Amino acid sequence: MGRIAILDRIEHEHEHENRDAEYEKKQHRSESHVLLQRNPAMVMPASRESFQGGVFHASIPGGRSGATLSIARGELIADTISEPSLRFSIPLNQCQIDLGGASNRMVFCRTKEGDLTIFCEEKNFAKELDFQSGGMLAGPLKQLKKGLAADANRFRFWLTLSAVACALLLFVGYFGVLWTAKIAIRALPVSVDEKIGTMAFSGMEMGRKLEANHPASRLVQEIVDKLKPHASIPELKFKVTVVEDKDINAFALPGGQIVVFTGLIKEAKSAEQIAGVLAHEMSHATLRHGIERVSQSLGIVAAIQIMVGDVGGLVALGAQVAQTSILTSYSRAAETEADLEGARMLNAAKIDPKAMADFFEMLKEKMGDLPDAMAWISTHPQHETRVQSIQNHQKKLPVVQYEPLQLDLKAAQDAL
Amino acid sequence: MRHQMLCPPAATALRFELEQGESITCEVGAMIAMTSGLTVETTSKSRGGSGGIIKGLKRMFSGESFFLNHFTAQLPDQSLLIGPTLLGDCVHHSMRGGTMIVQGSSWLASTPGIEIDTTWQGFSSALFSGESMFWVKCSGGGELYLSSYGAIHSLEIDGDYTIDTGHIVAFEDTLKFNIGKASRSLIGSFLGGEGLVCKFHGQGKLYYQSHTLPSLGALLGPKLKAK
Repeated sequence: MGRIAILDRIEHEHEHENRDAEYEKKQHRSESHVLLQRNPAMVMPASRESFQGGVFHASIPGGRSGATLSIARGELIADTISEPSLRFSIPLNQCQIDLGGASNRMVFCRTKEGDLTIFCEEKNFAKELDFQSGGMLAGPLKQLKKGLAADANRFRFWLTLSAVACALLLFVGYFGVLWTAKIAIRALPVSVDEKIGTMAFSGMEMGRKLEANHPASRLVQEIVDKLKPHASIPELKFKVTVVEDKDINAFALPGGQIVVFTGLIKEAKSAEQIAGVLAHEMSHATLRHGIERVSQSLGIVAAIQIMVGDVGGLVALGAQVAQTSILTSYSRAAETEADLEGARMLNAAKIDPKAMADFFEMLKEKMGDLPDAMAWISTHPQHETRVQSIQNHQKKLPVVQYEPLQLDLKAAQDAL
Repeated sequence: MRHQMLCPPAATALRFELEQGESITCEVGAMIAMTSGLTVETTSKSRGGSGGIIKGLKRMFSGESFFLNHFTAQLPDQSLLIGPTLLGDCVHHSMRGGTMIVQGSSWLASTPGIEIDTTWQGFSSALFSGESMFWVKCSGGGELYLSSYGAIHSLEIDGDYTIDTGHIVAFEDTLKFNIGKASRSLIGSFLGGEGLVCKFHGQGKLYYQSHTLPSLGALLGPKLKAK
């Protein structure tokens, strides 16, 4: 039983001859690590592969060495890469399989005495070991596999958990910031609205602005003056400008800048109708829809600016947004809100809110032959529901004696 | 090639005697002095061409630098003096196959047969071991030189062994470590000043450092005056 060369490949045998001779010498010295006893009844196929692994044994200088592993005839063989190369082997039926190492994927094969350990981290090693042992190591290997699967599962679990946590954190963070910003924007002084409005107004391309003493300007100004005491933000300075434009349009910028197109004044049937539109636009300003819209379209940018206290930057960006999108992009909810607040203001100023509804009715009729009117109407709520909701709301308002406006609409229209 | 440790363990420097044609790869900035017959080549690759930009970037994650310096002796009897950035010890580890897992920034030099790569040791060790998230993985055969703050001690583990977090310098890949509590109760672990510890299991060599830089920093930090 002292023979070492048990590999079937002759050249391999030759290659190891010297090594084997030396090994045999060592064998005489110590019998402890010679574990070449193989079971003659067991004829196993030789492994086609070799693996890179290592050996622990007291006879190796330093106690450890890297080794090339192979499995042949029921034995796990390790040829150390150290000089001189030593050969160690463990019969598979005496292997104590263990799993560990830094990666927890290293397979350790120990003798019962524990004085010799052969280890390998290669993926196919465990598979080959199982195959070559004819299932003898199925038990421990299965346990190993189970451990690996459990590891993989645990990894997957933590990965999923952290991914979910990250997503949740991002989600909560994003909306949390937006929500906080929304509240913070509400808390900003109205002067910020005014700054945005003024900046946006000065940068807008519009038709000729009518003089303040023009009859149309005076008419609009008088209506605004009448409505102003009933605005929900008393300190807001409303500034109304009439601009030469044939569109039936009016819009409010943040902070009380209101622009009325001459087209709207021309088409109005009564001063009350103009008052209705003005009340609606003033409500956009008092409800601060402008700055809300700015914060919506700037989203996270505005939120961050608010949080770091960069109000100046917010104003500049806000003015840009106001210029490009304020005319057409208030939400429907904001429009409805402005309708109802407008109706309240009209009612409080002793003007019949019905005039506002009338104006919408008129617009609806005009829509067919006046495509320009679309600009104002397209984003506004359905007229029927709008008129309906204004009328419903009117019923809830305190009953007042309406007074007709003592204003000369005809003269203003003629002056245009 | 021969090496000599000068002034260990407080202010260790390494002196190499290189024969013609021999070369050694060092950490960037480690060179203190050298004879004129040595050439220096700076690349992101290991000696022999493997690696490249990706490996360089990976190395940066582990706390090493993107580039490596290869010193090659063009003439016989050359000497090279290198030292770590910080005060502390250096050790020599002879590798014959296998893998050594080294704490980020502890790798100082190695001979060309050793491949330097980066490895990840799992979430818990990344978060709680007191070491960097990524480790340097040295594999192959050759001479490996490690450095660290404080003195370096080595140990052959066969079974279980416990090391305080932050004290690991390097360990063989046949060892596995888990993060655990120093004593049975969590409160006791922290009251005892040990907190979390690294519990090693398996068979292999472990290098650990007597002192850690963060503890020095924690001691000095509060005493420093703001500029």
